[in-house]
Amino acid sequence: MNNSSRWQKAISAWAGLTPFLLFCLAFEIVPIILLVRGSFLDKSGHLTTAHYVDAATPLYLKSIWNSVKLSGLTAAIGTLLGVFIGYNIYRWPSKRVQELLITLSDVTTNFAGAPLAFAFIIVLGSNGIVTQFLLQYLGLKIYPTFSVYSFSGLTLAYVYFQLPLMVLLIIPAFAGIKKEWRESATNLGANTFAFWWNIGIPILAPSLLAGFVLLFANAFGAYATAYTLTGSRLSLVTLQIGFTITGEVLHDPGIGQALAVGSLLIMGTCIAIYQVASNRARQWTRR
Amino acid sequence: MQESKQPEKGEVGKPGWLQVLTIVFFLFYMLIPIIATYIFSVATRWDKTILPEGYTLEGYTEVAKNPYFLITLKNSLVLSVLSVVLNLVLIVPTVYWVHVHLHAAKPLLDLLMILPFGIPGVVLALSLVQVYNFQPIHRSPFLLAAATVIFTMPYMYRSVSNNIEAIDIPTLTEAAQSLGANMVNVLTRVIIPNIFPGILSGSLLVFATVFAEFTLARLIVGASFKTFPMLLVEYTRKDGTIAAGLSVISFTIAWIVSLLILWVSGKGIKSTSDVIKAR
Repeated sequence: MNNSSRWQKAISAWAGLTPFLLFCLAFEIVPIILLVRGSFLDKSGHLTTAHYVDAATPLYLKSIWNSVKLSGLTAAIGTLLGVFIGYNIYRWPSKRVQELLITLSDVTTNFAGAPLAFAFIIVLGSNGIVTQFLLQYLGLKIYPTFSVYSFSGLTLAYVYFQLPLMVLLIIPAFAGIKKEWRESATNLGANTFAFWWNIGIPILAPSLLAGFVLLFANAFGAYATAYTLTGSRLSLVTLQIGFTITGEVLHDPGIGQALAVGSLLIMGTCIAIYQVASNRARQWTRR
Repeated sequence: MQESKQPEKGEVGKPGWLQVLTIVFFLFYMLIPIIATYIFSVATRWDKTILPEGYTLEGYTEVAKNPYFLITLKNSLVLSVLSVVLNLVLIVPTVYWVHVHLHAAKPLLDLLMILPFGIPGVVLALSLVQVYNFQPIHRSPFLLAAATVIFTMPYMYRSVSNNIEAIDIPTLTEAAQSLGANMVNVLTRVIIPNIFPGILSGSLLVFATVFAEFTLARLIVGASFKTFPMLLVEYTRKDGTIAAGLSVISFTIAWIVSLLILWVSGKGIKSTSDVIKAR
């Protein structure tokens, strides 16, 4: 085969991707690039960092901090509880129960947004059933220290979809720890702690990191649950960007762009770390 | 199949009390909000007692009477079906093409399929509304459908590509050709039936995700094309019983679709890349 026909073949092969690539360019890549570009331009098209300076005021810095705090906290709780619960599901003696619990995690991790927010109002609102149960049977008055419409309520609602996601992510990692390694370690005199400290945790580490950053991104980008539950009572960065689109609050569109670029950087970093960490993790889970 | 795999030595028999306690906590956390919503939707009054004071279906008759109920249901169905169709047209041929003719493009495809997870819904909505600021596409349902396809194509991609990698396309194609099949026959009678489970579970996942989608719908189109989740959010602030009825409907749809997907794909544990979601 000569060179020119090989080129023709390559070109026609790549041409088959045209519809898909055009779609991605038109509705994802070009709009995002223009958004980033726009965040550095003033009204007359000159380069400026003014939008970022405007976005660095207490109101918006607070919204970024709230988002980071909420994402970090729910990712940490989700990771810790998820690993613990995932391990106990993995060790459960009955295969059928295991499968049921995994199915439950699979379904519930999709229950985000408005229905979930409303379910939490029913359970933990000021007249919610758990609120009433705690008050009447245990004499525990959780309001007004706790409120489902505030940061604490949002934390519990986010953990609801973070926890099963971590369970689903970590169970394959436990399956990657071979029984033989445990036996060999025991034969060589390692106790349970020594096994986990020297072998188990190092093997799980990439999966834990991948899980944590994925959960962080998952919470950071969320909008619907927070919008339904808190409205505008709690300032989160996604809610602030939303306001610049709907115009509910008088906003400078440039600030929205600057906040959007900031969120893209945070989420992009998370997803990049996720990719690297989950590739490392795969060397143990691949059979 | 029961007891076929014992994860650890010495674990045969009963689970420990700490293990039971952990799982009970997990079940409570995951199930109480859902069960409470189902009960609340048929309760007359439920704010003073542990169990409701009475039961009624009034919430559902109110839901059915609401003029927006059918409109939003129809809008959400149209949007979901449109997204599934666009995904089928764009993604399935692309996955096939890359697998068979252009393996060199696989890393690019993988990258493009992870990218949506790094973009918050609000950011994509903002960028699309600003770029497409001309009629007829500005704030139109079509722009919304394009955005939902961007966020759901990874699900279709994973589902179809896992399936396509599990079958031996060159051998199947040669076998069919040696029996006298032309290329159209090979595709419609050999390849597509073999990757149908992947296409079906991908479609179901896209359908369920778009049906529950709120962020893009609210921010790209707004009130002129009200979707089912938008109606639900509106009623969480207006009428608890109606909101409960609507929540139950969306929970039920999510349950049915998830169980259908599990049934179609026939596997319990998904690989890590299958479970990541854009919210």
